[in-house]
Parts: sequence; C-alpha cells; structure tokens
Amino acid sequence: MRILVVEDEKKVASFLKKGLEEEHYAVDIAFDGEEGLFLAQINEYDLIILDIMLPKLDGMEVLRRIRIHGSSVPILMLTAKDSTENIISGLDSGSDDYLTKPFAFAELLARVRALFRRKMKEKTDFLRVGDLSLSTSTHQVKRGGREVELTAKEYALLEYFMRNPNRILTRTLITEHVWDYHFDPSTNVVDVYVNYLRKKIDRGFEKKLIHTIRGSGYMIKDEP
Amino acid sequence: MILKNIRFKLTLWYIIILGLILTSFSTFLYFTLSSSLYKGIDVKIKSIAELIASSSTNPFYRYSFGNIDRMLEDPFGWKPVTKFFQVLDESGRIGRKSDNLQHFQLPISALALKNASQGKVTFETTKALGKYPLRMVTMPVIRRRHIISIVQVATSLEEVEEALKTLLIILCITVPSALVVASLGGLFLANKALNPVDEITKTARMITSKSLNQRIKLRKTKDEIGRLAETFNDMISRLGRSFKQIRQFTADASHELRTPLTILKGEIEVGLRRRRRPEEYRKILNSNLEEVNHMSQIVDDLLFLSKADMGEVHLQNHRINLTKLVSEVYAQAKTISMAKDIKVHISNDADAVVIGDRLRLRELLLNLLDNGIKYTPEGGEIRISLERDGDQVKLWVKDNGIGIAPKDQPHIFDRFFRIDKARSREAGGSGLGLSICKWIAEAHGGEISVKSEVEKGSIFTVILPLAPHNEGMAKNETKHPGNARYKIRGF
Ligand SMILES: Nc1ncnc2c1ncn2[C@@H]1O[C@H](COP(=O)(O)OP(=O)(O)OP(=O)(O)O)[C@@H](O)[C@H]1O
Ligand SMILES: [Mg+2]
Repeated sequence: MRILVVEDEKKVASFLKKGLEEEHYAVDIAFDGEEGLFLAQINEYDLIILDIMLPKLDGMEVLRRIRIHGSSVPILMLTAKDSTENIISGLDSGSDDYLTKPFAFAELLARVRALFRRKMKEKTDFLRVGDLSLSTSTHQVKRGGREVELTAKEYALLEYFMRNPNRILTRTLITEHVWDYHFDPSTNVVDVYVNYLRKKIDRGFEKKLIHTIRGSGYMIKDEP
Repeated sequence: MILKNIRFKLTLWYIIILGLILTSFSTFLYFTLSSSLYKGIDVKIKSIAELIASSSTNPFYRYSFGNIDRMLEDPFGWKPVTKFFQVLDESGRIGRKSDNLQHFQLPISALALKNASQGKVTFETTKALGKYPLRMVTMPVIRRRHIISIVQVATSLEEVEEALKTLLIILCITVPSALVVASLGGLFLANKALNPVDEITKTARMITSKSLNQRIKLRKTKDEIGRLAETFNDMISRLGRSFKQIRQFTADASHELRTPLTILKGEIEVGLRRRRRPEEYRKILNSNLEEVNHMSQIVDDLLFLSKADMGEVHLQNHRINLTKLVSEVYAQAKTISMAKDIKVHISNDADAVVIGDRLRLRELLLNLLDNGIKYTPEGGEIRISLERDGDQVKLWVKDNGIGIAPKDQPHIFDRFFRIDKARSREAGGSGLGLSICKWIAEAHGGEISVKSEVEKGSIFTVILPLAPHNEGMAKNETKHPGNARYKIRGF
C-alpha cells in the first residue's frame, strides 16, 4: 500500500514516513503543494495524507485539483486549524477524513486502515483468501491456523495481493503500490519477493494460492 | 425592599422634612395670628372703655351717658353694634348699659370687682351670652383717688373665632395636599435624576466577556451621572482591551505551539511503538529537546509581548554607553557567525550615550544580528555601525543576505510574520524577534526601519534619542544584577 504524505514541516513529514514505513506502507513525501500535486498525478497512490497549510499551493487547492482530474484516491487531511469551517469545506471539496494537529499516531494509523477498508469495501481488519488470513492491524499472517513469519516487504506485498484477490497484478502495479519512488524498475526485485512469499505461504500446502500469469504478472486466488 | 430603592428613600426624606416645615409654619402662623387678633380686640375694648370712663368724668363732655352709642360713633366712625357695655357703681350695681344688651347684663366676676377696687383693669373671656364667648374689660373710673364707677365693655369673639377656624380649615387642607403634590414632584425629580443610573445598571448587566463593545449612551451634561457613565465606559474599554489581548495571546500561543507539539507527540509515539537502538532514541530525544527549547522561546517571547501590551514591562532609565554596548554585542555575534562562515564588521567611532534599559537594548541589537546571520548564506558579510546625527544616534545592521521583497517589508515587524515559515522554523525562529525589536526601539523613544533588496541584502536602522550630555560620559552606567540570569533570545 503506497501512501503520499504532503507536509511542509520537515520533522512532521519525517516521523510520519518513519512510522508508516514501520507499518509496512510505502511512503513518499512532498514538502509543498506543487510537489504534492505533481507526485499525486504521476503515481497511483492508495492514500494521500495532506496538510492544509502548505507553501506554494495550499492543501485545499491540491485536494480540489486532484479531484478535478477524476481521482478517487482516499485523502486524509491534516489541519492545524481546528475550526469546523475548515473541516467542513475540506470534506465538501472531497477529502475523506481529517485529523487535527497534534494528533495521536495510533489514531492516524486507525484512520488510514479505515480508509483502506472503505476503499476496498471491507468490513474488518482481516483479509482472507482460502485458509490464508492477514490482520492489517496486528500484521499477523496465518495459513491453515499456523502463524507465518514475514519480513516487512513480504508483508506489504502479501497485503497488496490480498486486498486485490482474483485480479491480475502486473509488475508495474506491484511496484507502484508496494515500493516508494526510490525503487529502481530495472531490477527483478518483484519476482524475487514473490518467490520469497511463495516459499512461506504455499510451500508444504497442496493448494497453491499465488499464481503466475504468464506474460502479465501474478494473481492470488482460492480456486486452482 | 422598597427602602432599598433610593428614589423612594429620597422622596420619603423629602416629604418628612417638608411636612415638618409646613406644620411648624402653620402652627406658628395660627398662634401668632390668633394672639394678635385677641390683642387687637383687647386694645379696642380698652380704648372704648377709656372713652366711656373719660366721658363720665369730664363735665364738659358733649355727650351725656344716655347716648353712648352716638358718642362712640363719632371718634370711631362706626356704630359699635357688636360692642356691649355697661356702667356700674363702685359696689357693683348696674347703672346704664348699651341698648343692644336689651334685658341681658354683662357678668362681673369677683376677681374683676376686686381688681377694680384696687384701681386695676381686668380682661376676661366669658361664655355668658350667646353662642360665642365674649371678651370683656372691666375698668374702674377714678377721680381724686376714689372709684366713682366701673365701666365694662365686651365684644363677641365671633369674628376672631370664625377667622381662626377658617384658617385652620385652610391649613388642614392645603398642607396635606401640598405634601402630596410635593411627593409626586419629588418622586418625579428623583426618577429623572436616577433613571440614567438604571440605564447604567442595565448596560452593566448586559455586558459579558463577549459584548464588551457595548457602551452607555452618554448625555451631553457633565454632571455626576454623566461622569459616572464616562468612567464606566472607560472601564469597559480597558476591560475590552485586556480581553482582546488575552484572546489574541491564547490564539497566537496555541497556534504557534501546535507545530512543536505535533512533532513532539508524533516523534515520541512513533518512537515508542517498538524497541529501538540507543542511537535512535538519542536522535529522537535530541529532536524533542530542540522542540521544547523552541516552545519555551515562543512562550517567553509571547509573554514579554503581552506584558508589553498591558504596560507591565518596566524599562530602567540608566545612561548607557551605546558604543561600548555595540562592541560587546559585536564580540558575541562574531563567535556565533564563525560557525556559519559569515564575517561580522564593526564601525563605531562615534561616542553615544542614551538613556534606557541596557538588557533590552542589547536584546534589540542581538535580534538584528541574529536575523542577519540567519538570513545570510554562508560566506556573507554583516556590518554593524553607529553614527551620531544631531541629538540622535543611528545604528545600522547591514547584511548581504537573501533580502526582503517590497511586498513583505511592511509586515516583517508584525507578530509571527515570517516570509519562509519552514526556513525560519528550522533556524528556531517564531517570527517574534522583530516585533520585540520594534517595541524596544519605540519604548526608548526611537524607531526602527528596514531597507532591503531581494538577493542583495537588508539594512535595519534603529534611531534613538541621545542622552542630554550635561552629566559626564556614562559614568553612572550601572550593571544590573539581573544580567546573568537573563537569557538573550537566540544566543
Ligand atoms: N536580515 C534579514 N534578511 C532577510 N529577511 C529577514 C531579515 N530579518 C528578518 N527577515 C524576515 O523577517 C521575518 C521576521 O523576522 P523576525 O526576527 O521577527 O522572526 P524570525 O527571525 O523568523 O524568528 P525569531 O526572531 O523570533 O527567532 C523573518 O522570518 C524573515 O523572513
Ligand atoms: Mg529573528
């Protein structure tokens, strides 16, 4: 899951990036409105965290322009002003949720998860494919009742797979949603990680869940 | 309850006093009038009695006793129909009497007879005849020390009593009605005087912290009430100002403290989410400390400014050798600027002494130098110079840094104004430095101004009035004991 953080206060941006990455999200940062808008337009993000008071282009304007281009990416606004007026106009111009500064990081994470759920039309923090389950809040992964230990990247990859079951996921899609913009597309890192994941999820089970779609990419599904 | 009401109290007092005055006046009037009326009657009957007595003793008198009525008609000009008289011999037997007595006779008391025998005149009031009492004089007629007869003259008191009765009735009607009218008038006047007070009360009651822009409508007259209303309005304005300042302070403080608080909270929460290496904790704590320092700086500055707004900052009035102060500040700035590879120059040949607060002036200079260093890239230069100009001294802090755009120049002395928020914050600034400088300059009777060009640099000029030079140069400059404790911002 890839998140864009648009925040001019360097220290705020940096703890957001650190905390979100530790939750296995891929995080990009923009320090002003123009840069944020640019990144939002060239990349496909799963969520944008947007500060309202930004240099060059303020948060409201960035929000408006993102929505004008038809994008429905979930947007969480951060506001220093707790005036209801601001919040209402934010929600009106298409933000999905807001948090006032200073906020609790745990709450931010809960809101982020809720927005993902809403986007995927899920009802719980549990994702399920066959006998494989994943908890997005505790990051626990179980196959057939047994816990599976995953690295951060493997977890992020699996979460992305499980949010999009029965769908062909191309290598481009996968890099866009699991890696941040420091990713070098010329490598075969995706294939390497999918193989790691296969070893931990499917090895020893008769029924394989991760399938290779020749010439296009990968897919996770319950049926053979 | 009703006694808690001033208008009723006033009216009541007014009525009581007026009532006392009116009743005592009426009583006085009644008694003086009655006594003078009675005295007049006595004088009158006595003179008639004397006339009669003299006629009976004077052999050449024109009239005989038989025609007393006519005799009296002459000197008095009227017919004394209401006067009765009779003449007795010395033993008390009645001789002649006036016609109008008909078959009645005037009584003679033992006392009167006895007095008469001693040659004395007696006045009496008797109830003997008719509805009204009679006033009667008994007078002996003496010739050669012998009482030859006694003359009695009496008159009815009808007129006097009637007059007094009428007077009493008039007084009994007019005094109470005068009191009623006066009390209504008094109430009206009290109302008129006190209505503005009610108005003031009403306004005062309506005023809350949210409606401090309300005022009492002032009347043109500068009477007691007018002055009260004016004083009251003044008080409301002062209250309003302090409320506004407090609100402004709270809003500013909460707004400015929010960013460091967000950082602190976020960094700590993220830090605590998992076990970390000591270096990581150290990094987090260092960053936290930076934010805490920044916060206390903001709080100090804000507190200073809000105190200054309320007029609670007291400047000391010492003779300060500005030349020496500039050299000191220069030395301090030089050490700090070295870290950033910025050269600081000084040119202060002029001797200048000003009256003021050493700590504040130092803070002013340090703030300007701090800005110069902050907003000048590495390798830049800063010059601080001092020049006398008439009875003023001019102080420059000049840099060749990033400069200030013309559109921003009018705002840089405003509170919290920063051109590049992120840049200023990274350098630990809160946008209060120049507003504090401006306050200090103006509190010393001076001014501060800026000239700047983007990418070329800025010149900040402070003009202060010189101290009158009758006293010797800076001899009495004092070192404040508070010096060591005072922390200059940014340094
Ligand atoms: N010498 C200078 N050159 C360029 N810009 C300046 C200079 N001095 C001040 N400014 C601009 O004016 C703004 C206000 O200055 P001020 O000293 O009030 O605040 P600050 O330096 O940001 O913070 P603080 O002084 O409170 O630490 C600064 O943020 C900066 O943008
Ligand atoms: Mg400053």
